[in-house]
Amino acid sequence: MKALAKKNLADALALLAGQATVWVPAKVAGVTRFAPWSPAVTLDLEATPPAVSPKEILLPETESLYRYSAYGMDVTFEAVEQEVPPTIIWGIHSCDVQAILCQDDVFLSREPQDAAYAKRRAATTLVALACTTPGPDCFCTSMGLEPAEHASTDVQLHILTDGYGVEARTARGEEIVARLAEKGLLVETIEPPAKAQACTRAVNPEGIDKKLVEMFEHPYWDELAATCLNCGACTFLCPTCHCFDLTDHRRNAHEGTKIRCWDACMFTEYTVMAGGHNPRPGKKERVRQRFMHKLRYFPERYGKWQCTGCGRCVARCPVHIEITDVIKEVGEVTLDG
Amino acid sequence: MSALSPKSGSPADCAVTEGHVGLPVLDPPPTAAPDTGKTKNGEWQPYIVGFACNWCTYAGADLAGLSRMQYPPNMRLVRVPCSGRVNPQFVLRAFQKGADAVLVAGCHPGDCHYGTGNYFTRRRFLLMQRLLTFMGVDPRRFQARWISGSEAPKFRDVVTELTEQVRPLGPNRLWREVEP
Amino acid sequence: MKELHNVNVAMRTLARELLESGTVAGVYGWKKGSRPTLTSPLYIQDAAKADRLAYDQYAVSNLSALLLDHRNNDKKRAIFVKGCDSRGVVRLLQDQQITPEQVLVIGLPCPGMVDEAGSLLTKCAECRFPNPVMADQVLGGVEVSKQPSAPTGVTAEAARKVGVGSRAGERMAQVAQLEGKTAAEKEAYWAEQHDKCIRCYACRNVCPACNCRDCIFDTEKKGWVSKAATSSANAFFAITRAMHVAGRCVDCGECERVCPMDIPIMTVNRKLQQDIEALFGPYDAGVDETVVPPLGRYQTDDPEEFL
Ligand code: SF4
Ligand code: SF4
Ligand code: SF4
Ligand code: SF4
Ligand code: SF4
Ligand code: FES
Repeated sequence: MKALAKKNLADALALLAGQATVWVPAKVAGVTRFAPWSPAVTLDLEATPPAVSPKEILLPETESLYRYSAYGMDVTFEAVEQEVPPTIIWGIHSCDVQAILCQDDVFLSREPQDAAYAKRRAATTLVALACTTPGPDCFCTSMGLEPAEHASTDVQLHILTDGYGVEARTARGEEIVARLAEKGLLVETIEPPAKAQACTRAVNPEGIDKKLVEMFEHPYWDELAATCLNCGACTFLCPTCHCFDLTDHRRNAHEGTKIRCWDACMFTEYTVMAGGHNPRPGKKERVRQRFMHKLRYFPERYGKWQCTGCGRCVARCPVHIEITDVIKEVGEVTLDG
Repeated sequence: MSALSPKSGSPADCAVTEGHVGLPVLDPPPTAAPDTGKTKNGEWQPYIVGFACNWCTYAGADLAGLSRMQYPPNMRLVRVPCSGRVNPQFVLRAFQKGADAVLVAGCHPGDCHYGTGNYFTRRRFLLMQRLLTFMGVDPRRFQARWISGSEAPKFRDVVTELTEQVRPLGPNRLWREVEP
Repeated sequence: MKELHNVNVAMRTLARELLESGTVAGVYGWKKGSRPTLTSPLYIQDAAKADRLAYDQYAVSNLSALLLDHRNNDKKRAIFVKGCDSRGVVRLLQDQQITPEQVLVIGLPCPGMVDEAGSLLTKCAECRFPNPVMADQVLGGVEVSKQPSAPTGVTAEAARKVGVGSRAGERMAQVAQLEGKTAAEKEAYWAEQHDKCIRCYACRNVCPACNCRDCIFDTEKKGWVSKAATSSANAFFAITRAMHVAGRCVDCGECERVCPMDIPIMTVNRKLQQDIEALFGPYDAGVDETVVPPLGRYQTDDPEEFL
């Protein structure tokens, strides 16, 4: 296997940053999140996982779609063309690679594809980094993932004593590896990559997608939802949550820009319809939707869990509503209740 | 966007909303936020939003106009029923929409048409001024004054003084709203 | 925590009695979470579940804002409170979001809350009201007090030992440190913090002072606020939130604790508290229900700077 020594990491990133925007996990104002690499960036490759997922790279929290103007009958539209540079996400973990596959399912697998997402996704190369020491809330193995590697990344980095084992998995990945090799940044090694420690949390989701079909009216949701604040912490931190709202950036009564920004099924006004009716009027309906979506509707539709076990929602829910508990408890409750 | 530019709002037509179909008439000030920092003869001019209470300051401004007093044309007045009507969001929204400074003005304490509105105004904005300063806003950019209906000269002086205070500070970019 | 053993037993007994007798329709308390170092909010309506109640030095959540879920419901709910939590209940009562008939407040002695690593929370080191400021009943011998006071009840000694209230005098240290910076530095600091905000509204939703039925940030279609998470819209949110709780914030620190982006929200709340005291005299929000918050009243001889 080829290896990139730790001391060459900065050179490797600098080399790649010459031709692409290279997103790396970094400390930004005290929070670990992905940031475009520059020599000024403080890398934080130890965070498992980074507090903020790389979701925002492919699905920005806010983006402009088109500009409009309407003066009387004189109405015009003009698309906002986003510049999409070649993009590399460096140091993404298995959970977040899997999350991108979920996003692909949503935005690309059926017609019509989401144009803005498609464009960014096509320009993106994933360089995954093995996770050997899972964080306190990780449970990706329970969701069927392998912290040490992911099959659907372009390049997989393995942890070595003093660097990273570099393994290309796609033609795109080969290209990156070739460029690093060309500059003499890679060496051959026979050192076996470090093994991943077991995930801290373990649950067994097997069969709960089927069980949830019978649980729409189960009293379980009442109790679970009673302490939820209906905030957006869980969904906004989640790498697979993809709901958005289309709204306006108004310049005046006539002109503005249609923007898309993240929205969350946990918000009270998320399902409010014109006229005021809210089909999900209470906490119970909203909390149920979140878990039903992740553990039943999504698997039904796309054949995979919409939870990758990254543990972010577990770590930051203000009232400790933990999806690991939900998986466990849904597995345990009796259905006739 | 050339098709739009001739029609886009400028501060001059602030109060005018053309007839149109299906859109709200009452909307935030029509200027696109990035358009502020207007120039006159190539020179940057401060854009100041003033919230004036209907019963005193607005009357004072009216009187200044009737008396043909000369003062800088940099302030756009927004008439409010009472200075107590001005909430923190008005001030922030003005900055977002491109104001370089904001003035809140009303009756002298004791003279509020509604008796006590401006006593609350005073507390609210004494506090908010300090908060904005804490966040790095130059205190000259956010001020409050009591100007009665008969104080046309004071109105003139306040506008003149504020304009001259803000001019050296240059355009305010903090919190300016831009297209995402 | 052994000092709290009997309190835990008493909590469960009381909750069971209250639910069985129909005195209350539900009880807000805490349960043990998925780790020994987590104690999470719990709401029970069924007396059989009273045994799940638990209270210890990890029960950091302030449950008072959850009472807002029942503001349109006449039934009574019981709520267990620490000192800081009780101020949240007073906030809701004073703002007439709930009536005294809708709530039964049970005061608990507070041992001082610690994080998962075991260190005392800053808010607890700076705490001035470790005892409930109001309660219909108390457990563990805690004394109700509307004055800044030392911890009382069965955990008084433990609380003193870990340093509850020991840094009450330094509450404004972070504010003072920022005030010492230049305008440009302040602007840069807050811009960086506001940029981080993801507009999840956890800070708002956990807050007993943020109790508007229709929050301005949920009425986006009216055109005042933007859902865009831009620097400008985030700052608008942060400052609006701060001004809306000015003089009403009960200093529970929940907003800052729950913020997933670790934005120093308490620094802003404290700055406002400090200025309110300097301008309008001493005031502790959520302590005495009969004293109107400072921005809701005035004095004719308030400081005059607008002449
Ligand atoms: S639901 Fe929670 S644990 Fe699962 S992917 Fe989303 S944030 Fe991660
Ligand atoms: S589950 Fe937790 S993070 Fe999610 S909305 Fe409810 S309180 Fe917020
Ligand atoms: S702030 Fe005071 S009352 Fe609240 S948890 Fe800390 S020590 Fe206890
Ligand atoms: S603003 Fe923060 S500290 Fe103040 S009452 Fe609300 S949650 Fe508590
Ligand atoms: S909790 Fe933090 S990130 Fe969420 S809205 Fe409040 S300040 Fe923003
Ligand atoms: S009416 Fe002028 S300040 Fe109230």
